Amino acid sequence: MSLLVEVVTILLNGLQQGAIYVLLAVGLSIILGTLKFVNFAHGALYLVGAYLGLFITTEVTLSNGLLATWGYETVGFGLGFIVALVVVPIVVFVIGVAMERFVAQPFYNRPDTDQILVTFGLAVVVQEIIRTFVGGQSQSIPRPGWASGPVALPIVGNFPRWRLSVIVIAAVLVGLVYLLVEHTDFGLIVRAGTLDGEMVKLLGIRLSRPYLVVFGVGAALAGVAGVVSGPLANVNPNIGTEQLVPAFLTVVIGGVGKIEGAIVAGLLLGTVQVALIQTGFAAWSRVGLYALAATVLLVRPQGLLGSEVDVA
Amino acid sequence: MSDEPSDATATAPAEVERGRGFAARWSAFRDREFSTVVVMSLGVLVFPVVFNSLLDGYNQLATLMLIWGIFAVGFDILLGYTGLLSFGHAVFWGGAAYVAGIFSASVSSDPLLVILAGTGFAVLLSVIVGSLSLRRGGIYFAILTLTFGQMAFYLATSPLAFLTNGENGFTSVDIGPLFGVLDLHQPLPGAFGMLPGNTLYLFVGVLAVAAVAAANRILHSPYGIVFRAIRENERRAEFVGLNVWRYKLMAFVISAAFAGVAGSLFTIEGNYVPLDSLYWTTSGEVVIMTALGGVGSLFGPLLGAGVYLYIEFIVSGMEVIGPFWHLILGAVFVLVIVLFPAGIWGGVEAARDALAGGED
Repeated sequence: MSLLVEVVTILLNGLQQGAIYVLLAVGLSIILGTLKFVNFAHGALYLVGAYLGLFITTEVTLSNGLLATWGYETVGFGLGFIVALVVVPIVVFVIGVAMERFVAQPFYNRPDTDQILVTFGLAVVVQEIIRTFVGGQSQSIPRPGWASGPVALPIVGNFPRWRLSVIVIAAVLVGLVYLLVEHTDFGLIVRAGTLDGEMVKLLGIRLSRPYLVVFGVGAALAGVAGVVSGPLANVNPNIGTEQLVPAFLTVVIGGVGKIEGAIVAGLLLGTVQVALIQTGFAAWSRVGLYALAATVLLVRPQGLLGSEVDVA
Repeated sequence: MSDEPSDATATAPAEVERGRGFAARWSAFRDREFSTVVVMSLGVLVFPVVFNSLLDGYNQLATLMLIWGIFAVGFDILLGYTGLLSFGHAVFWGGAAYVAGIFSASVSSDPLLVILAGTGFAVLLSVIVGSLSLRRGGIYFAILTLTFGQMAFYLATSPLAFLTNGENGFTSVDIGPLFGVLDLHQPLPGAFGMLPGNTLYLFVGVLAVAAVAAANRILHSPYGIVFRAIRENERRAEFVGLNVWRYKLMAFVISAAFAGVAGSLFTIEGNYVPLDSLYWTTSGEVVIMTALGGVGSLFGPLLGAGVYLYIEFIVSGMEVIGPFWHLILGAVFVLVIVLFPAGIWGGVEAARDALAGGED
């Protein structure tokens, strides 16, 4: 394998790994940036997305959990992946809206620490509800037919079609959210609210509804992240807490509230992780991720693309 | 709040009239620092009797409750009194546990030296992690501590597996007798054998009383009052001329020292260090215990640790609701945060004040 091939392979795999981080981080970042709400339950939305995706896509045989003891050993709709990809964001959007209304709103005026505590508790509750009903065993979403097998790419040769699909799906969705926030009237109101909520309200614009939508959109992205990583990684009740920490790192490395920042940081983290794995330092890959994050935060506390104003 | 030294016969404060009954005398007793130690010691002695006979408890669990209690009491100095939420304290608990284990296997197996080694490591580490994490406040502090914690977890998972034994956990812990004579796993000699609990429980109990006394001393000292000033208004504390950063770092180091003692005891108790002790959910556990029991109170975190472990070990064995213990725990935690921010201890205090007729 020539050096060029190796580098491009690392970049592509890093792009795919990074795409998951970006999907998670963009939602987390705009919620933190606009609503000033710290959502430790963001990983739980990813978890819910993954399980919804699993049950919509295929029929699963459960070996433990309440559903299995009640006699529902085979659950799922078996509607295929495309349906999951459409339905999951909608459902998780609704969950996100409900979360904003019933969890976030009562906590907007309480200290950051209370927000972290309540969402952390909520994450535990969601994880345990899922474990209770469907059991703790690991599942996997089967790759859809149209996206299995390799695809021929220049330079690297064969590349798994599914990994490429993840990159494309993430790029399209994140692009849409970017357009929504940066180039629409809705986005203008949201961004204005971020800078000076009181002034926006004085102008007679209601902020509560845009905030609902922002939370919903952020949640939906986390749900999609759960679905698209289902065919690559295990689906079990622990994945939410596992993904939460890298997602937060991506947000703070990129700069809170900055979509471009989340994209850059996500791709950076993904590439570093994959590069360490593929060059024979797999044992150090996670450590490298956190060391990189710590370094960035200490050298540039506001994040790579964050502005000085945002520093709390 | 004045701190009269441990003079049990000191007269009650002048404003408390003689003969205002039990409530007045109780509140005078309560305000003295020595009484905290007395109450805690009595609590430690009575607890296993009540716990074992009425609540289906057993000595080992009572010991574990005290160990986590020490961890949570220290954590509350940071969270409840200084207002800093760390999500990385697993690194001090787990780090101390590993160092204690390795120290016992390769240097000395004396329990006190083992604790000293583990705690020393936790303190050193906390100076580094603390001074780096405290460069940012609020949520960034939480995320930075989380980052360092996870870094330690993944370091222990594979690059340092030659020391930590990786995912299997550290198994070659070797704890010898205390001072070379007193085996912690044997009954105490002579009349001491009549004491409740067992030797290990009493050993941990002595340290738990010492920990509570130390925390109480720190929090009632002028130094500790600065912690509260920082929690209430950091900027104002700075304007008064206090070096806020240094006080915060000290609060962080103190809480890490408590975590270190507790982590080392955890190794001594279990003869084993699981890799999980470094994972961030362990940090989450101590956060839950502290907030559940009541942030900003001395006994609240102890209570929180007890309730948490009770649900984890006793409720989990009950019929019907047993399998849902973790769910119950999460739900109770969320309810407490939403409805009773002062935690269980806050409820106890409110009830007590109501009984005393609005004394405070």
